[in-house]
Amino acid sequence: METGCRFTKLLVSVLLLWSYLVTPISSLSVTVNDVECVYEYVLYEGDTVSGNYVVVDHDIFWSSDHPGIDFTVTSPAGNTVQTQKGTSGDKFEFKAPRSGMYKFCFHNPYSTPETVSFNIHVGHIPNEHDLAKDEHLDPINVKIAELREALETVTLEQKYLKARDARHRHTNESTRKRVIYYTIGEYLLLAGVSALQVIYIRRLFSKSVAYNRV
Amino acid sequence: MAGGPNELKKAVALLALLCLTGRAHIGEAIWLTIPSSGTKCVSEEIQSNVVVLADYYIVDDDHAHLRSSTISSRVTSPYGDNLHHNENVTHDQFAFTTTVSGNYVACFWINGQHQEGAGLTIGLDWKIGIAAKYWDSVAKREKIEGVELELRKLEGAVEAIHNNLIYLKNREADMREISEITNARVAWFSIMSLGVSIIVSVFQLWYLRRYFQKKKLI
Repeated sequence: METGCRFTKLLVSVLLLWSYLVTPISSLSVTVNDVECVYEYVLYEGDTVSGNYVVVDHDIFWSSDHPGIDFTVTSPAGNTVQTQKGTSGDKFEFKAPRSGMYKFCFHNPYSTPETVSFNIHVGHIPNEHDLAKDEHLDPINVKIAELREALETVTLEQKYLKARDARHRHTNESTRKRVIYYTIGEYLLLAGVSALQVIYIRRLFSKSVAYNRV
Repeated sequence: MAGGPNELKKAVALLALLCLTGRAHIGEAIWLTIPSSGTKCVSEEIQSNVVVLADYYIVDDDHAHLRSSTISSRVTSPYGDNLHHNENVTHDQFAFTTTVSGNYVACFWINGQHQEGAGLTIGLDWKIGIAAKYWDSVAKREKIEGVELELRKLEGAVEAIHNNLIYLKNREADMREISEITNARVAWFSIMSLGVSIIVSVFQLWYLRRYFQKKKLI
């Protein structure tokens, strides 16, 4: 009977701890042709939803910066919680006004498809209300939750840096290839143009073309 | 002791509640909409030797129930190898350990009859690395529970942060090297371009002189 009691206490405490302390983080890349929406569920009202996104793949030829992708967050009630327009990557953070399904949309105003790498994190820290409701929660669980949230913030920032690094690497690779191919192309073109010049001048002086034309 | 059956009831009730709200896999599930025709692909750049655990399911809203559609998925490695392929399911999961670092792509599409313009919503639970670690088995194996388990998880998270930092540092060093090589090449190729242009024009002049001398024009 005692072990049964202890077991159920353990089970319940583990379940409750888990439900309070698991902080979801999603990190993926999608290709945005026109509009791409991602939905994430926020369990508790007042949770902090933080995240970032970076436009990773852009094959822009001439201009130095991406024209921009629009980002919108819509609450379950249909209100727009946050909007960012024309950025090539940014961070966002807001406190969820209510629990429910939040919609994170990327809109690409241009015809070229872009790949966006995003991270979304929903963090919950149990407050006094939760502490009062459940006797298995100590103040230490609140501290652990705060620690966990801080670590998740660092992880989120690192993922942002990783995505930015990937984009920078893309640009670097492109520059490296361009330097090599365009230079070789330039040399060949130069040699070709001068050969054409010589051939043309030869033709001007050749006997088959009328003598007096020169 | 007296609270034994009550506590058990509470545990069962909580579990039931979690199952009913579809959150039994208290996970990091995001929802995606699959278009009625075509595929929806998500990808992630993953290093080598990382565990990937994913779970996807059709979200049961009113339409999905009536339509009885199924989805298929395919996961490919950066070199194009097929890591997982499954057709005509409503719920599936896959797991693999990455062998090479690169872009891993998971694509989903709808099988069977699809109504015009009606997409389907799927939930995708995608975990890599430390998040994919099965903490239950660690807890059972080392007989730790509660606060100690949570602190162990935090320790795992800190280790993951440390590894990520080292990875970023190495990547930055690689990129700096590439940048410096490119910088040196730009300078070298520009000067060489001047040299090539001078050589070519000298060659032109020499050739034309020879040609005109042959033609007895000079």
